[in-house]
Amino acid sequence: MIDAFLFIGLPYIALIVAVIGCVRRARLSKFSMSARSSQFLEDRQLLWGSAPWHIGIIVVLLGHLLAFLLPNIWSSVLTVPVAMFCIETLGIACALLALAGLGTLIFRRLTSARLQAVTTHSDLLVVALLFMQVLLGLLSAIYFRYGSAWSTGTVVPYLWSLLLLQPDMAYVAGFPMLFKLHLIGAWLFILLLPFTRLMHILAVPFTYLWRAPQRVVWNTTRRRQHAVAATIRAESRREFIKGAAGVTGATGLLALGVSSKAVNFFKGASHDPEAESAMLEKKLQRLQLTAEERGYELERQRNSMILVSPYAELDPLKGKYFIDYAMAPGLAFKGKDGMPIVMSAKCTHLGCTVSSMVDDNGRVLCPCHISYFDILTGMPNEGAPAKAPLAQIAWALVDATGKVVASRAPGQPVTGTLTPEALAQCGLYITKPGKASA
Amino acid sequence: MDVRAHVSVIFHLDKCIGCHTCSVACKNVWTDRPGAEYMWWNNVETKPGTGYPTRWENQKKFNGGWKWDGSDKIEMRCQSKADAFLKLFYNPNQPNLDDYYEPFTYKYDDLFTAKLGDDQPTAIPISLITGEPIEIKSGPNWDDDLSGSTIYAENDLNLDNLTEEERNQLFEVERLTMFYLPRICNHCANPTCVAGCPSGAIYKRGEDGIVLINQEKCRGWRACVAACPYKKIYYNWKTGKSEKCVLCFPRLETGQPPACFHSCVGRIRYMGVMLYDADRVPDAMKVPDRALVESQRMAFLDPNDPEVIAAARANGISEEFLDSAKNSPAWKYIMEWKLALPLHIEYRTMPMLFYVPPLLPVMGKSVHGTYNHEARNFFTCLEESRLPVKYLASLFSAGNEQIVEAVMRKLMAVRYYKRWQSVGDMNENDVDKILRDARTTREEVEQIYAMTAIPTHFQRFVLPPLQREEAIESTCSPEACKGCTGFSLDPTFNPRA
Repeated sequence: MIDAFLFIGLPYIALIVAVIGCVRRARLSKFSMSARSSQFLEDRQLLWGSAPWHIGIIVVLLGHLLAFLLPNIWSSVLTVPVAMFCIETLGIACALLALAGLGTLIFRRLTSARLQAVTTHSDLLVVALLFMQVLLGLLSAIYFRYGSAWSTGTVVPYLWSLLLLQPDMAYVAGFPMLFKLHLIGAWLFILLLPFTRLMHILAVPFTYLWRAPQRVVWNTTRRRQHAVAATIRAESRREFIKGAAGVTGATGLLALGVSSKAVNFFKGASHDPEAESAMLEKKLQRLQLTAEERGYELERQRNSMILVSPYAELDPLKGKYFIDYAMAPGLAFKGKDGMPIVMSAKCTHLGCTVSSMVDDNGRVLCPCHISYFDILTGMPNEGAPAKAPLAQIAWALVDATGKVVASRAPGQPVTGTLTPEALAQCGLYITKPGKASA
Repeated sequence: MDVRAHVSVIFHLDKCIGCHTCSVACKNVWTDRPGAEYMWWNNVETKPGTGYPTRWENQKKFNGGWKWDGSDKIEMRCQSKADAFLKLFYNPNQPNLDDYYEPFTYKYDDLFTAKLGDDQPTAIPISLITGEPIEIKSGPNWDDDLSGSTIYAENDLNLDNLTEEERNQLFEVERLTMFYLPRICNHCANPTCVAGCPSGAIYKRGEDGIVLINQEKCRGWRACVAACPYKKIYYNWKTGKSEKCVLCFPRLETGQPPACFHSCVGRIRYMGVMLYDADRVPDAMKVPDRALVESQRMAFLDPNDPEVIAAARANGISEEFLDSAKNSPAWKYIMEWKLALPLHIEYRTMPMLFYVPPLLPVMGKSVHGTYNHEARNFFTCLEESRLPVKYLASLFSAGNEQIVEAVMRKLMAVRYYKRWQSVGDMNENDVDKILRDARTTREEVEQIYAMTAIPTHFQRFVLPPLQREEAIESTCSPEACKGCTGFSLDPTFNPRA
């Protein structure tokens, strides 16, 4: 339980506090960010304290960082015994250097009266903890030999598991106490970072390497002029970039299409047998359907008569649609005299199909451009877009036995017997044009 | 041509009486704070003397300023870009507290709270750093008036060039001489402190050239303290930040001269605008020592030249600045009369503070206890001067004696001319000869006299309004802006908390 807190809870608390704290301090309390050098008050002992301490600890920390960031490369380098020996020696030497420097710094802090004036409790806490931490690290390195090698398989996976939010302390829980303390110390330092002078680590002025030697800051007119000019430049640049991006995008898409076509053209069709067979099959289906339809059509054309509807289903007010020999729509009504009225439903204006509903004036409407056609004569109304009448279609009434009871060719009177009983049994057919009814 | 305006300063050393009123005015306004007690942004030194901090001119020890080896490059003496990082841990060039002095006060409380006894209670000195009783060993003007002292004056580095004879003569009791050298930040045109700051916290204001430290960006690496050859940047041991003279920019912006200028009893200080060509600055300091003064003058631009005015307007310099530049006492002293010279130009920072060298100690060399006014050769006293011209040249012209001599001749000509005018014991022809020899005219001499002896406040300080309303954006509180303009004490910051 306590292990879980120290090796999972504490690291996360420390990291979160450090990140938030450092950002807060860097934003809100910039003035407090300083290395707070004491060289001005005491510089003789400082030389022998600060320089070895910083150089030593930077080398050691870089070693820690490398092992953490590049464990594979690090451990493969360490398989060479000479390399491992060198690294271990360098590490321990630098740790000793740092420890000696830190010792001098602590001694100096405690003995110089001038330094007492600028020493805070947090400074003392930090140096004491640092001394402990370096000592623990050094002892771990000496007692548990070749930490540079074994850490890559134990501590590094633990650290990475923390970083990847899948904390795994399997290795760490079994560590010797010495090493556990060193690890806890590390998390404590991260926790303390934003609250102590340790934060100067984050202020290393790398930008100095490439900045111009002189700095000029304009506060008034010229700054404004420059700001305006810069804005204008940025704006026009932005507009240009926008336009250029649009043109480039369009050109790109165009080029993509053209090039894919061109490539296909020169390469020929792709040879994907499955896709090809699927396509062929579809083609075949379509052809079969077309053939079937054409078959039906031909059959219709071959018949001398085509059934429109049984006579009983005819209605005086609602026409019945059918398809005539010319594959055009037709309409059939029951006339007032009981005789069928059969005519083309294709408007003579632009060929729309006229409505089947008969209005109060005995007319049907072509909805496309409002032409009313009289169903008796087929004539359009006055002023309608259509000028010609709807064509009459020859028809025949055939009884159940197949005998033509009555028929009518366009413009001719009705021929045949017309008893209502007989009519009721009949079916209405249209007859092939140009063929006299039998 | 990149025309820039610079608020430039003239100190007329003949008029300085060494009263330290300027230093006290500055101390009261700016450095009366914990951590800043030892700082004297304005200090007055006695020359010959060791100065403050002690022997600050010793660049072999402090390595301030630029060095030039005749090549295209000019480099900082104190650090290269790379080794600046090593010097973060320990800077071998940084002066420590003992190079200045340990600030002190007296335990005045003891005078009231001492127990009844046989002896008078005393107020013993205590350190302002530790609070412990100390023995005062030095102060900011510890060698004040101690010319001829073997402990102080003899250690003046500018005496190194003198011959043994000249030195001996200078330290004869009857012939001792001295003058005062008030020093503030030079607000250099080519500052090493700006170039040396690792954090990039120090900057030069574009409008008036004032060099300021952004206290919020300063991280206390102290490179500037080492880089400044004049040691005019101070490390505040309490806040861990560096501080320097801000040329009282809040006063300047409201049209008042800085506190040290305003309070000057001798009225030695002049302030005016100089126009200079920033394009010429990088190369101006790449010339041999003897040519440095002239090279710096070449960088200045004539404020009456229409071409310069047009370029200045194009560069955003306001009409007020251009008007001030035309009436600038600095332009008259530096360029028209060529009387004012920079201090230690061989540090190659192009200081923008100029000194009119003192005449009195030069003329004061006398035979038989009387001043020598020989009619035949009026300038012999220059060669036999009590304070060798060589010494002044080492201070004001990087060793070029002709420049200092020309200044001296002109200053003497003004006196002879005015003597002839007011006392009337000289021949007019002799006076004209003196004027000719000094390469001056009656008109110029009258002008120099008027500007030196009887100038009004507004002739001495020709200050352009600095458009304070534009200097800080209206949405930004001036209080909150203090930190980025050179001086602040964050009220919430308490290093002991």
